Formats: sequence, structure tokens, C-alpha cells
Amino acid sequence: MRRTPPSGSHPATRPRIGAGTSSLTGALVLLALLTFYPAAFPSFITLGVTIVLFAAMASAWDVLGGWTGQLSLGHAVFVGIGAYTMALLVLRNGVAPWWGAMVGMGASVVVAAMWGGVTFRLRGPYFALASIAVAEMTRIVANNWARLTGGAEGISLPTLPLFLGLDLFSRRVEFYMALILLGLALAVAWWLQRSRFGYHLQAIREDEDAAMALGINPTREKVWAFLASAALTSLGGSLYGIFLGFFEPRGMFSLDLSVQLALMAYIGGAGTLFGPLIGAGLLVGGSEVLRIYFPGKSLFVYGVLIILVVLFAPDGLSTAVRRARRA
Amino acid sequence: MVQFVQIVVNGVFTGGVYAIIGIGLSLIFGVMRIVNFAHGVFLVVGMFTTLFFFERLHVDPFLVIPLVVLVGGLLGIVLERFLLEPIVRAPEHASILMTVGIGLVLSNLLLFAFGDAPQIINTRYSTSTWHLGPITFSTALTIAFVLTVVVIGGLALILERTDLGRSIRAAAQNADAAELQGINTRRVRSLVFGIGFALAALAGALLLPQLFAHPSIGPTYTLKAFVVTVLGGMGNVAGAIGGGLLLGVTESLGAAYVSSSYRDAFGLAAFLLVLLLRPAGLFGRSRT
Repeated sequence: MRRTPPSGSHPATRPRIGAGTSSLTGALVLLALLTFYPAAFPSFITLGVTIVLFAAMASAWDVLGGWTGQLSLGHAVFVGIGAYTMALLVLRNGVAPWWGAMVGMGASVVVAAMWGGVTFRLRGPYFALASIAVAEMTRIVANNWARLTGGAEGISLPTLPLFLGLDLFSRRVEFYMALILLGLALAVAWWLQRSRFGYHLQAIREDEDAAMALGINPTREKVWAFLASAALTSLGGSLYGIFLGFFEPRGMFSLDLSVQLALMAYIGGAGTLFGPLIGAGLLVGGSEVLRIYFPGKSLFVYGVLIILVVLFAPDGLSTAVRRARRA
Repeated sequence: MVQFVQIVVNGVFTGGVYAIIGIGLSLIFGVMRIVNFAHGVFLVVGMFTTLFFFERLHVDPFLVIPLVVLVGGLLGIVLERFLLEPIVRAPEHASILMTVGIGLVLSNLLLFAFGDAPQIINTRYSTSTWHLGPITFSTALTIAFVLTVVVIGGLALILERTDLGRSIRAAAQNADAAELQGINTRRVRSLVFGIGFALAALAGALLLPQLFAHPSIGPTYTLKAFVVTVLGGMGNVAGAIGGGLLLGVTESLGAAYVSSSYRDAFGLAAFLLVLLLRPAGLFGRSRT
């Protein structure tokens, strides 16, 4: 647990409470603009789905990671539960994917409640390490329990029923589903900015002991944040499963995926409304561009980008931009 | 019974190398409060450095170990100076991101330099064995284990008996107080990161004769290093030795008697249990 100097020589820990209403208008304008994306860039629709979907999942991660300050490196568990519950119910029981996604969400919430209840007494890096252990064990079990999950060979989705007359495998439909999910995640983040519950979470992030002294029950509030975060991530996972059409435990439950969600939020600015969205746009869009211009070197440049952001914009890009504008 | 002893022996030998990885991670955490996500990649750097010297200079992999350790140490010091020192006062997630970034850059540099094909080196003793009664020992693993014991012993001497060791321990206990006593904690941090990198590189060199080297295997060893340090207690160097041996034996017993496909899960389960029940590690005094 790194102790930052109390006089605040590093502004990262300064509370960002009551950041203003203009961000709500901003969010609505942005979502409205995004609805034109499929018409404007029809040939980049797959890229668009990926960015919006990852933005939604990174925002969901941010409820726990950014707003509550509990660094989880195991969120791929919920992506995997969402994708696998949906897919297995379709394959084995013929349950429609949207109901499957709901069941997956319920399962994720139950898992998060147990996981959080047990590990939230750990603080700082210890919680992060425990989350890695939980996620890796889940991946190993999913990989080996072939009778349930289909094992390492992975599973592919059959033809899905129409959802309100819409083909779920159409990229345009997936784009708007992801956009709705992003809207939901942004609404939660906006609410956290100004609600009593949100203030509690931010107080816990700034100083857990002080929050406890003020009568906040940190474990209870952290578990609630975890449940919300898990539910949203799980919905994203179900959609991600449909988007991929074929997946395996190695990808769905991977540490890389968990780390990616955390990176997106941090690079854009954890605990801010637009941070995860900016991060997802930069990392997903950026790695796509890099794949074109630096074939085979995209991950290298990705690593360099992370290092540069940490050195020069340690609170994420959106915070750096805001500070530059204010100065 | 013979089979059981054989399995435990194999576990102990592998565990020795795990201990070396864990000690480096534990030192870094103890002094710098950084959870180093690039630690496994440092090990892979060690593997490929050894491979490079072996293929270009045709020297026995165990003879180039001093060179590998030197390269690792220098790389560690340089990385610390330029990338970690600037963020020493930043919140802890900054150092996690930074080490993730360093790991990505290093492993991809290795990918450019050595290609995507798994590589292996062949030495006279790669497959040779020796026997003690009914127990069989792999020659390569035996050499690795002997070197491990020597290195850990040397490191313990440095930490306990020299001024450098005392400054490292002081910085780990209380950086500000150490600074007030005239210890240059900035220099200590650089050195500790260098030592950590060097130890990981050494472990890579020791494991090379029995493993395929590939630029992407880093994260597997980062996880193993986490398990070892948490078992032994984060920041507890002596505990890391016990943690390493425990992980090695648990893995090989679990793989032999329960299921080999769950091999990695046994270590993780132990890791999670220790984290929850004894956060200071199995061998640590619990602090309140």
C-alpha cells in the first residue's frame, strides 16, 4: 500500500466530487452522435462494435476499479460467465440468448457476492492478487470441465432466434445493443458521481479507515459496487459471445482480457465518466491502426503507449486534458 | 513409497528455481512496494540471453550464467532509473500499469529478435540422469538446484552481513527513517530492482535446459512468482524460499496424485487460502 504524501503533492487523490452537470449533456450528445456511426462508417462497423462494447465493459469495471478504488484483475470471469451461460443455454436447452444473458447476469452477481464477501477484507495489491487467483482458477476449471463448457476446443453458437425481429449476428444490431449497454454503464457512472452511494464509494477509495469512522460500512458498500460492476460486465460478456460467435475458455477467461479492461479505464481516466470510453477508443482503435501500419508490432506499440501514459498522464488522459484546459 | 519420494524430490528441485523467482519479486515488493507484473518476462529475457550466448558463442549454458546475471542486473537498474523512479510517489496502480507496459515491450522485443518458434537447446546433460538408490535425478535440474542453493546462500550473506544488505533491509522496513539515517534510498531502489531482474534472469537460465523458450511464456511465471511470494509473505525474503519449495512440491504431488491438467490450480488455491487466512504469509509474523 503506497502512501501518498498528505499535503497532496500528487493530485490523483484529490476528490473529484460534484464534477458538474455539463458531463450529462456531454454523455447524451456523445451517445446521440454514436447512433450515426453505422451509417457513417459502414465498412468499419466491426471496429465500432468492438470499441463500444469494450467501452461499456471498461465502464462496468470502473464502477469497482475506478469509483471504489478496488483494483480487480479478474473481471474476465464475468465476461466468461455471461458468454458461456448464454451460449450453453442456447445450445443445450434452446433458451433464447436474451434470457440466457439474464441468467448469466444472475450467476455473475452470485459469484461476485461470494468473491467480494470473502476477499474484500484484503486491501490494495492483495485484493488485486486475489482477483487474479480467482480468475485463473476459473479459467483452469472452465478449460478442464469439458462436459459443462465444451473444454479447450471451445464452442460455437448455432443460429439464434430473432430478437424483436432483429438478427443478432448482424453487426449493426450488435452495435446498437452495445450502445444501449454503454448508455446503461454511463448512466450508472453518472449516478455514482452525484448520489449518496457514489460518495460513499469515493470516500472508501480515498481513505477506507476515515470512511469507516464516518459510519460507512466499507465491506457492504464495496460488495454492492462489485455486484453492479459484475452484472454490467456479464451483459457485456453475453454480447461479446454473440459478437465472436465462437470462443474458448483460454480467451474468455484470460488474464489478458481482465488486464485490458483495467488498462482502458486507467488510460482514459479511472473514476471519471468518459475515461473508460476514451481508453477503449484509444486502445481498441489504436491497436487496429497499429495492426495496419506496423504489422506484427501492434502489441509492442501498445506497451510503449501504456508507459508513456503512466509517465506523462498518470491520472489518465481525460483528467490530463481537463487539467490542461483549466491551467 | 519410492514413487512418492521421487515426486517430492522433483518438486523440491523445481521449487528451488521457483524460490529464486519469488525472492526477487519479494525484495522488489518489500523495498519498492511495487507488484511487478513484468517479473516472468524478466525470466524469459534471461532464457533468451542464455540462448543467444549459447548459439552465437557456443558456450555451455551454465557457464554464461554470470553474463546473464550481469545483463539482467544492468537492465533492471536502467528500467528502474528511467521508468519507475519518476512514478515513485504515484498511486499504486501506476506502478502496476508501468510494469505491465514494460512486460509487453520486452516480450515483443524478444519476439522481433528471436521469432515465434519455440526454441530449445541441446546439451550433453539435457536428458542425462544419475541415481541414488532407487531415486533418479535429472543432471540439469541437479546443477540448477546446487546453483540455487549457492545463490540464495550468497544473497542471504549479503543481506545479513554487508552495509548494502543492511540498507536494503532498512529501506524495506521504513523508507523515510532509512533516508533520515543517511541511506540513499533512491540508489537502494535501483539496486533492488536490478537484483530482482538478475535473479529472474538467472532462474530463466537455470530452467532453459529443460523447457521450451518462447517470448510469450512470461505471464505464467509472473503468476508463479506471485504464488511463491504470497505463500512466503509479501516482502519476506526467507519466506519466499519456503514458498518456492512448497509450490514445487504441491504442484508435483497434485499433478501426480490428483490430476495433471489441474496442476496450476493447486498452487493458486493454496495462494488464495494463504492470502485470506494468513495475509502475512505462512512463515511471517502476523502484523496488525
